[in-house]
Amino acid sequence: MNEPNDEEIEALLHRQFEGPVADNGFSERVIRHLPPRRRRAAWPLRLGGLLGAVACWLSLTSVPMLQAGWRDSLAGQLSVAAIGMWLAMAVLALLALGWSVAESGKR
Amino acid sequence: MADSAEEARIDQALVTRIRLGADQRAFEQLVRRHQGMIRAQLRRLLHGDEAAADDLAQEAFMLAWRKLDQFRGEARFSSWLYRIAYTCFLQARRGPARHEGIDDETMEQLQTPARAIDLQLDLERAMQRLSTAEQVVLLHCSQLGLSHDEASYVLGMPLGTVKTHATRGKAKLKTWLAAWRDVANTEKFS
Repeated sequence: MNEPNDEEIEALLHRQFEGPVADNGFSERVIRHLPPRRRRAAWPLRLGGLLGAVACWLSLTSVPMLQAGWRDSLAGQLSVAAIGMWLAMAVLALLALGWSVAESGKR
Repeated sequence: MADSAEEARIDQALVTRIRLGADQRAFEQLVRRHQGMIRAQLRRLLHGDEAAADDLAQEAFMLAWRKLDQFRGEARFSSWLYRIAYTCFLQARRGPARHEGIDDETMEQLQTPARAIDLQLDLERAMQRLSTAEQVVLLHCSQLGLSHDEASYVLGMPLGTVKTHATRGKAKLKTWLAAWRDVANTEKFS
């Protein structure tokens, strides 16, 4: 038997395919029937953010090192506690920035 | 390849426009860009039933419009649409995909067409004799031009299964079309 090779079969299959169908009003019909797109409500996200910030504040105010750092910062003293506090905040801000950039890249 | 990347970038930009402002015109552009291939895919899956294919295509685009937030960009937008259309097709058939088709033994009992009138007709017949899974894999890989990875995503099949069906399907077509060739040659020289 004289079998065709892979390329011939691929070519035959490709030739058999009629290709994309002409629009002929199809797109307009689809657009005419589109329902209004519901936008996601923003309030759950905002409420979650607010609750998270409050919880974070309440749990951090009881940490002595942060209390000392905040007190020193207000007094204008560059103590270890103050530097540590600002460094921690900078690292957290960078992590949040990185996460936001990664998420926006996916969209 | 560069064209394909550019097409994907345009799709992504249109998707972002829709997300930001529920922009119907951007979605219309997406529909215009992809309707031809989605309708062709469904027509093949429905064996040429144009009306049913167009109804399913419309349903698929409606679904895409509603579920656009779920498109995370892991696959190309076109693959995501093919997947939605294929899911609509499976749901329209009311039941899971039947991948059994005709087995090899039954196939051997089928007679090869005595007269090969036209190779394309024979190929069409041969395609219909493949199992459903082989048919859909060859449709998506060899005709719609998807990679094995993309076909695996669209059809919800493991990559290995897609490759196996593609290889088996082509092997069967080779055998059957070789018979066609022999008949054609015999007729030519008799």
